[in-house]
Amino acid sequence: MASGRDVRDMLGLSVGGDAQKTAVQKRPKTTAPTRRIQGVAREVAALYGERPPPVAIFEEKKAYRAKRQSTGPAKRWVQQSFTNQARIDDLMLKHWRRKPAPQSAITNGEDSAMEDTENMEPFIESNAEFLKYNVEPEMPTFTDEEYDAHLRSSDWSREETDYLFQLVAAFSYRWAVIWDRYDYQPSANSSLAVQEPSINGDSSQALAALPFAPSKTRTLEDLKARFYEISAKLMKLHIPEVQMDADQYAKYEMLAKFDPALERTRKTLASALMNRNMDEVKEEEFLLAELQRINMAANRLDAEREELRSRLEAPVPNQQVAAGLTAFTSSQALQALFQQLFQQDRSKKRASGGAPGRLSLAGSDILATPTSAQHAQIAANRRQSMATLPPPTPIRNLSPQEEIRYNVSTHDRLTSGVTFGSDKLLKMRQAKSNVQTQKIAAALQQLGISDLISIPTARVADVFEGLIGKVGKLLDVRKVREKEEGECRVLESMKARLNGGGGADGAQVDGAADGEKLMKDEIRDSQEDVEDEDEDEDDAAREDDADAYGEPDDVDNDVDADAEGDDEDEDAEGEEDSRAQSVRQPSESMSTRHISAGHKRSASVLSQASTKSSKRVRK
Amino acid sequence: MNIPNSSTAPNTNEYAGDEVSAIVLDPGYNTTRAGFAGEDVPKSVCPSFYGQTDSDSGPQYLFGENAIHTPTARLGIKNPWGSDGIVEDWETATKIWEYAITSRLTGTKPTDPAKNGLNDANGDSMEVDIEALENQEKPLEDSPLLMTEPGWNTVKAREKYLEIAMEEWGTPAYYLHKTGTLAAFASGKASGIIIDVGASHTSVTPVLDGMVLRKGVQKSPLAGNFVSNQIRLMFKQSSPEIPLTPHFMVNSKTQVDAGAPSQASMKVFDIPPLDSFRRHEEERVLTEFKESVVEVWPGPGRFSNGTNEEIAKAQPGRPFEMPDGWNQVFGSERFRVAEGLFDPAAALHDADNPIPKADHCIPRLVQQAVSHVDVDARPMLLQNIVVTGGSTLLYKFNDRLNHEINTIYPSTRNKLIAPGPVVERKYAAWIGGSILASLGSFHQLWISKKEYEEHGANIVEKRCR
Ligand SMILES: Nc1ncnc2c1ncn2[C@@H]1O[C@H](COP(=O)(O)OP(=O)(O)O)[C@@H](O)[C@H]1O
Ligand SMILES: [Mg+2]
Repeated sequence: MASGRDVRDMLGLSVGGDAQKTAVQKRPKTTAPTRRIQGVAREVAALYGERPPPVAIFEEKKAYRAKRQSTGPAKRWVQQSFTNQARIDDLMLKHWRRKPAPQSAITNGEDSAMEDTENMEPFIESNAEFLKYNVEPEMPTFTDEEYDAHLRSSDWSREETDYLFQLVAAFSYRWAVIWDRYDYQPSANSSLAVQEPSINGDSSQALAALPFAPSKTRTLEDLKARFYEISAKLMKLHIPEVQMDADQYAKYEMLAKFDPALERTRKTLASALMNRNMDEVKEEEFLLAELQRINMAANRLDAEREELRSRLEAPVPNQQVAAGLTAFTSSQALQALFQQLFQQDRSKKRASGGAPGRLSLAGSDILATPTSAQHAQIAANRRQSMATLPPPTPIRNLSPQEEIRYNVSTHDRLTSGVTFGSDKLLKMRQAKSNVQTQKIAAALQQLGISDLISIPTARVADVFEGLIGKVGKLLDVRKVREKEEGECRVLESMKARLNGGGGADGAQVDGAADGEKLMKDEIRDSQEDVEDEDEDEDDAAREDDADAYGEPDDVDNDVDADAEGDDEDEDAEGEEDSRAQSVRQPSESMSTRHISAGHKRSASVLSQASTKSSKRVRK
Repeated sequence: MNIPNSSTAPNTNEYAGDEVSAIVLDPGYNTTRAGFAGEDVPKSVCPSFYGQTDSDSGPQYLFGENAIHTPTARLGIKNPWGSDGIVEDWETATKIWEYAITSRLTGTKPTDPAKNGLNDANGDSMEVDIEALENQEKPLEDSPLLMTEPGWNTVKAREKYLEIAMEEWGTPAYYLHKTGTLAAFASGKASGIIIDVGASHTSVTPVLDGMVLRKGVQKSPLAGNFVSNQIRLMFKQSSPEIPLTPHFMVNSKTQVDAGAPSQASMKVFDIPPLDSFRRHEEERVLTEFKESVVEVWPGPGRFSNGTNEEIAKAQPGRPFEMPDGWNQVFGSERFRVAEGLFDPAAALHDADNPIPKADHCIPRLVQQAVSHVDVDARPMLLQNIVVTGGSTLLYKFNDRLNHEINTIYPSTRNKLIAPGPVVERKYAAWIGGSILASLGSFHQLWISKKEYEEHGANIVEKRCR
C-alpha cells in the first residue's frame, strides 16, 4: 500500500526531514500512555520494545482470585451450651458458636477475656431451630363413654385397641412397621379381671370364653380394619355425615369401606405377581409386545374402514352429532348437556309466550336417566336445525328441465382453456395406482362399456363420472370384504379351537356355509347405497360378488366354524350381539339422518344375528 | 471468605447440622470403630480382639493393634463377642470400646492409655491404676454417645449397653441404633434392604423409613470368618498340604519355586504365645489371601453349574506368597472358597466342618427377609439393596449377588447400592451414625442422663425403636 511517504517519494518531495519530524512527534505520544506492566522485571519489559508483546499478558492483579479480606483479629469461638426446645427434659449439650461480640466498645484483649468468664457462664442458648421437625401424627381420639357406646368389638379388647393406637401414633401410620412391631401381650391384671366372673370354671374354659382370644396373631389387614373402623365411627360421631365437606366425606367413605378380605386377596395377588419366575416374566413381556402390535394393526384397520364408510355414505354425517356422540359418553357430560338444553328450552318458551311446545322439557326431567337425556338431545337437535337453518335465498334459478332445454350449465369455477370431452373421460379411467387403473378397466369391460365413448357430451361425462365413482367404491368394498373375510376366518378358527375338537365334519361344512352367508349379507348390507339406482351396475356388482366368492369358498371349507349343536356358545354370541346392538342404540336415536348410517354400520352385527336366527329356523 | 468446593466442609445450615461433638461407636466382631460425629471416617479403628496373659496376680489384658500382634510369652488372643453375634464378655468388651474411644478421641483426659495399666504388662501397677481410674473423671463426661448394635440384639444386651455408657463412661446423652439403618443412611437411603457381610456374621436387614422391620432381620454365620475357614480347609485338602505360617514366626525367608517347600529360618521363642495368638496371626495372612486371591464366581449360575468350573479353570490364576516364602498360583480353587456364601452345598467340608445349612446362604437370607415384609413395601425395598461389610469387598462379590437376586426376583427392579470406596463399604454403619448424630433434629432423640436415672435402663426399649 502506498503510504504518505511513498506519495511524497513519487512527488519528489524531501522524505528525510519530515519523516524524522513525525517520528519525533509521535514518540512521546505513544510512550506516555504505556503503563508499566506490573510483575515483570524492567529488563524483560524493555525487551518488548514499543510494540505490544506477542503474548497477551494478564496482570496478576486482574486475575480472578478471592480476595483475602482482613476482617480484623481472629474471631473467637466458644462452646456454647444450649437446650433443645423439642425436648421435655433440659438436656444441655454444647456446640461451637461464634462468640458474640462484646457489648462494650472495649476491644482490649484482656478485658474481653475477663468478660468471657463473667458473662458466658449464665448464658444458655435455647435452641428452637429444629423444633419444626418434631411433628406428632394426627390421631383420632375417643373417650371411655364413646368407646363403650360405639366402638366395642367382640374381637378386640379395650386394652389391645389402645395398644394399637399407641403403635400407630409411635410409627406415624407406617403400617408395615406397625405390623412388624405388633406384639400385644395382654397384661396379667386385665385378663384376670375378665376371668373373674368365671373364676369357678376351670381356667382353660374361662380362657376360651373370653370375648377375645389373647395374643392371637393379627394380620396387617386386621389391624387396619380395626383402626379404620374406629376412625370412621369417630368421624361420623364428631361430624354428622351430612355436614362433612367433600374431603371429609371422601376420607370417611374410604375408611368405612375398607374391606380386609379384599385387601388380603389383593396382597396375595401382588405377591404372586412378584414371585413369578423368569419364564413367566418373559412370556408376559412377549405377550404385551404382541398385544400392542395387534392393537396397532386393529387401529389401522379400523381407520381404513372408517375412511371407506365415510366415502360410502354420500351425505356427510352430521358432524355436530357425531362429535356429540363421543363427548356424551359419560353421564356427567350428559347431565351438563341436559342442563344446557333445558336453559335453551326455557328461554325459548319465554319468548314464545309460555305455550309449552311439543318437545319442551320439564324441570322434573333434570334428574333423568342418560337415555331420556338422549331423547332430549334428539329433540333439541331437530329444533336446533329448524331454528338455525337460514331460509334459502331466492336466486333466479332455472328449473332442471329448462336447463336441459337451453343447455345451460352452471359451474362453480371454470378452468381456462379448451378441453376435449374425451380427454376428460379418459382421465377419469385413470386411478393413482396402475393396479387400480386395471381393475377399473376390467370392471368397465364387464359392464360392457367400450374404451372409447363415441359422443362424450357433458351429460355423458357426468353419468360416466358417477359410474366411475361407484366403480371405485365397489373396488374398495371388495378390498375391505376380503380383509374382513380373513378376519372372520381367524375368529372362526379361534372359536373352533375354543370349542375343542367337538365339531364333526358335517358341522364344519355347515359352519363354513354359515360364515359365507354371513359375509354375503354383510356385503349386501354395506352395498345398499351402491345398488340404489343404476340397475346395470348393480348387476355387475352382484356378478362381481359371485366371482369374488369363488376363492374364499374354498378357503372357508377347511376353517371349521362353531358346531351347530353348541347351544352354550350360541347364547354367548347372542349376548354379544345384543350388547353390540345396545351400544348402537344411542347413535341410532341421535338423529334420523344418522340412523340410516348407524344401521349400515351395524350391518355386520345385524347380519350375524340374522344368520343365527336362520340357523335356529333350520334347526 | 470461603469458596465452597469438594474439600471444604458443607455449611451446617445446608444439611440442618448442629454438631455437639458427639461420639459414634460402632463395635464389630473384627474391629471397633469410633470417631466424632460429623466426620467422614472413624478416627479410631481398633481391633475387637484383645490379648490376655495369665500371671500369678490374675489375668492381664492388652488392647490395641500393637499389643495384640506382639508375640509376648503366653499371650492368648480372645474376642468378647459370642457366637450368636451378641457380646458375651461384657467386662472386656467395655474395655475394648473404651480403649477405642480414649486412645484416639478424647485423649488423655481420663488417664493416659499408656499409663492406665490397660496396656501395661506390669501386674503391680494394674490395681493401683484401676482405682485411680475410678476416682478420675469419666471418659465421656461431655460427649453424647451414639452406639450401633446388630439387628438381633437382645433387650438385655441393649440395656447393658446403656448402663455401660451411663454408669461407666458418664455420657450425658446416649442413643442406640441398628447397624442396618445406619448403613442405609450412609448411602442416603431411609428404606431398603441392607446386606452386611462382616467377619462373624452376615445379616440382611429390611429397613423402612429408618426403622428396622424386626421380623425380617436375618443372620447367618456365613461371612468373613467362614471364608477364612474355607481357605484353611482348601490348604489342608490340597496335596501336598499347603503350610500356613504366620509372619511372626518367620525370621527370614529365601525365594523358592512355586509349590516348592519353603526355606525360611524360623524364630525361636523361649516361652511362645498361645495357640489362639497363632491362629489370630494366621487370620491376618488369610485376610491378605482373601484380598488378593479369592474371587467369587460372578455368575450367571452357580460355580458348580454346567461348564462353569471349566471356564474358571481356563482363566489365568493368581499367585500368592506365604510369609515363609512358599508360593503358588491359585487356579479355580480360588472360586471355590467363597462359593459357600451363595451355594452352601458347594462348600468345602470335613469331619469338623460340616456343610453349612442351605438356609444360611445369602440369597436365601434375602428371600427370607423380603418374605417377612408387607407385600406393598417389597418392590420399593428391592430397589434399594445396600451392600456393606468388609467381606463384600471380595472380588466380584457384587456381580454374583446381583445375579442371584435377579434370579429370585425377575419381575421387580432390583438395584444394588454398593459404595465404591473401601472405607465407605467397611465403615458404612459408622458413617451413617456420624451423619445422624450431627443433625440438629437428632438432638431431641437422645436419652439424657436424667431420663436414664428416672426411668432406668428399660428406657432404651421405648426410645430406640
Ligand atoms: N478386601 C477384602 N477382601 C475380602 N475380605 C475382606 C477385605 N477386607 C476385609 N475383609 C474381611 O471382612 C471382615 C471384616 O469386616 P467388617 O465389616 O469390618 O466386620 P465387623 O463389622 O464384624 O467388624 C473380615 O473377616 C475380613 O477378613
Ligand atoms: Mg459389621
